[in-house]
Amino acid sequence: MTDDHSAEISTEDLSYTYDTGRQPALTEVSLQFERGKMYALLGRNGSGKSTLARCLNGLLVPSSGRVLSCGLDTADPLNALAIAGKVAMVFQNPDTQMVGATVEEEVAFGPENLGLEPSEILRRVDRALDLAGITGLALRQPLRLSQGQKQLVAIAGAIAMEPDFLVSDESTSMLDYTARLRVLDLFERLRRGGMGIVHVTHFLEEATLADKVVVLDAGRVEAAGTPAETLGDPGRVRALGLDPLAVRVVAYELGRLGHAVPDDVLSVKELMSWLYA
Amino acid sequence: MRWRSEGGPAVALDDITIGQYISAPTLLHRVDPRLKLVAVVACTVLVFLYDGWALLAFAVMIVALLAVCGLPLLQILKALRTVWVIVFVTFLLQLFLTPGQIIWQWGFLTITDAGLSNGAIFSGRVLLLVVLLSALTMTTPPLKLADGLESLLKPLAWLRVPVARITTIVSITLMFIPKILDQSRKLVRAQMARGADFESANVLRRVKDILPVLVPLFVKVFHDADELAVAMDARAYGGGTRRTRLHPLHIHLPEALLTAAFVAAAIAMTFIP
Amino acid sequence: MALRLRLEDVTFSYPLPGKDEAAALEGVTLSVEPNSVLCLAGANGSGKSTLAQVCTGLLAPTSGALYYGEERIEGRGTLREFRRKVGLLFQNPEDQLFADTVEKDIAFGPRNHGLKGDELSRRVSESAQLVGLSLEKLGARSPFSLSEGEKRRAALAGVLALDPEVLVLDEPFIGLDYEGRHSLESSLERYRDERGASIVIVTHELSHVWSLATAFGLISEGRLVRFETREQLLSGDTDIGALGMHLPQWGALARELLRAGISIGDPTDPRALAGAMAERRGAGGGA
Repeated sequence: MTDDHSAEISTEDLSYTYDTGRQPALTEVSLQFERGKMYALLGRNGSGKSTLARCLNGLLVPSSGRVLSCGLDTADPLNALAIAGKVAMVFQNPDTQMVGATVEEEVAFGPENLGLEPSEILRRVDRALDLAGITGLALRQPLRLSQGQKQLVAIAGAIAMEPDFLVSDESTSMLDYTARLRVLDLFERLRRGGMGIVHVTHFLEEATLADKVVVLDAGRVEAAGTPAETLGDPGRVRALGLDPLAVRVVAYELGRLGHAVPDDVLSVKELMSWLYA
Repeated sequence: MRWRSEGGPAVALDDITIGQYISAPTLLHRVDPRLKLVAVVACTVLVFLYDGWALLAFAVMIVALLAVCGLPLLQILKALRTVWVIVFVTFLLQLFLTPGQIIWQWGFLTITDAGLSNGAIFSGRVLLLVVLLSALTMTTPPLKLADGLESLLKPLAWLRVPVARITTIVSITLMFIPKILDQSRKLVRAQMARGADFESANVLRRVKDILPVLVPLFVKVFHDADELAVAMDARAYGGGTRRTRLHPLHIHLPEALLTAAFVAAAIAMTFIP
Repeated sequence: MALRLRLEDVTFSYPLPGKDEAAALEGVTLSVEPNSVLCLAGANGSGKSTLAQVCTGLLAPTSGALYYGEERIEGRGTLREFRRKVGLLFQNPEDQLFADTVEKDIAFGPRNHGLKGDELSRRVSESAQLVGLSLEKLGARSPFSLSEGEKRRAALAGVLALDPEVLVLDEPFIGLDYEGRHSLESSLERYRDERGASIVIVTHELSHVWSLATAFGLISEGRLVRFETREQLLSGDTDIGALGMHLPQWGALARELLRAGISIGDPTDPRALAGAMAERRGAGGGA
């Protein structure tokens, strides 16, 4: 009996080194990502999270080990086109990923590369703009939009590929709070629609929204589990080079004063509820 | 005059740099890029065949065409500030260096009648060419221009010329021109904040301070180009050979006839003495 | 106390309306004291970057006045010395670094202001030390061969080399991880303490400056809406969300506690917060 791996991305002992002779960026990373779930990838600068993200859709090919994107080996160049259609990616800098002169052209770029018929391209573009909530921006010039709007356009461009997975390489890092909320809201809607979201971020509060959190350090997986499991201990979080959640630091102090706070209390609202419980 | 981009904020033309596309509902915007390219190439050749009066006639036709299509000529000329330098230098060189009947002299500087006419003609040619090219790039989005170029060059593909790649390079280059200018402005600002003097009377000092901006400029541009390449890769761009289009290029009869008439008129002008 | 930098009813508008990131400034009045860290917070498009540039003399106000101490700043005469006293660090180090070597880049500013020889080298090595950059290791290298973190430090050293009394930083923490932010914070605090400098941080992310800042100004649509201390910010009813920003978890927690009538000491001290909550819980009959 064969397992159906078409709905997941799996890395098997994935290692990656940028230039031979230098330190490996990733060492023996074995992870599985499923559709319909949101994953947060955390880690200090240089921990390898961006490298890992780029291995998931074949932008980078493993130095050793293997990555199977929806059943396709990323190391095989013949799979490149198919993988691009299944695992889409958006990047950190809203400005450097824009290609088109209008938003419509920008979003159509991907489907055009897939060699689809104009009527199909149009359908996808309309749907993507609608999902991202930016139908009104269709004829605007992308480079004249706000940073947040640009990222929504970039995500729409990815949605238009109708992928199974969306990998976000720190796509919220350069946005202000309102823009971030819009992006995260869109991620959630896509997830509910069945897409798998892998979101690389250094905002821990964003990670609390994920189904599963993976923390990398020096190219290895140092923690993987629910947000509560991975982010609950502020000392451990700090040791991994991350800024611990205020709620958890206070929870730790409360624990020392004899008031135990459950691990799954991660937000201010939850902590206040516990206070009054 | 302000153009209003579809639904967007008004774009002032003083703001525009060479090679930059502006989204606006003019007639020329709707013309198939292949027709525009053919017309521009033809006119480029013809401009060099024109003599004084022909040049003037052509200039008049261009101005009329731009006006009819809704492109404000004055603003375009203002936007081409840097080009004026080249035009002016061309004019001066011809003015002082062409042999002929002397009509004015001061020390070793002589102006001849031929110098005067040559000056006007040569600088006029440069100006016209730049206006033509600007009209092209202003009304044709880079990707559309690439599509047009690719379509015209397709026969070359039989000779193994990587047409698709070349055209992508052309269009991305056009897109980067405003980015480069933007970045240089930022670098100049940073240097000003640290005491560099770009307003000093000492021209040598100004040049000395500007030159170092070139290296970081290119570093940034290459970095951005790299990121763009990665983003395009992630969206299945594979050299563009199997790309389809949301709005495929289609030449309509009216615009074809108009272009033909335009080019025919331009050819006819070569016969004007 | 003597005020350093002062803006009085400053208005600014870009000559070309409709330009993207430019937002006008309307009637901004603000003052900067010595030995302080002021956070100017606003969402993208609120005018914060414009304000940063006006504060450093890169843009001249359309109306209103800019003062340094008692001296009004306008015209080329006053501007040059003013730009030395008020340094600006741009968001991207790549927008700022440009010389052949790191050492030459750091020396650029002071050299433009007439420093040379031994004095110049001393200034350069002091600045490098302040930011934790090793000149022996990196001084002769091209700035573009440095890592991201090293580039930022080199850019900061280049600005500190001017020995400014006021240091304005435009979004200095974006893209930095926890350790990077921590390292930058220490460099800034050290400069403030050693020099009595005024630090002005322009940002949209309050969490980046929450513990560092001693005062906050909130910018929205070109207006400086409030000028508060952390405590004032938490106890007032400013709608941070309406300004396009949000409180970091620390601030949000402290605010909830204050609203619930629980008095807390220092809102950045987890023990104070935990202690106050424990007391409340104990008093409520739980434990």
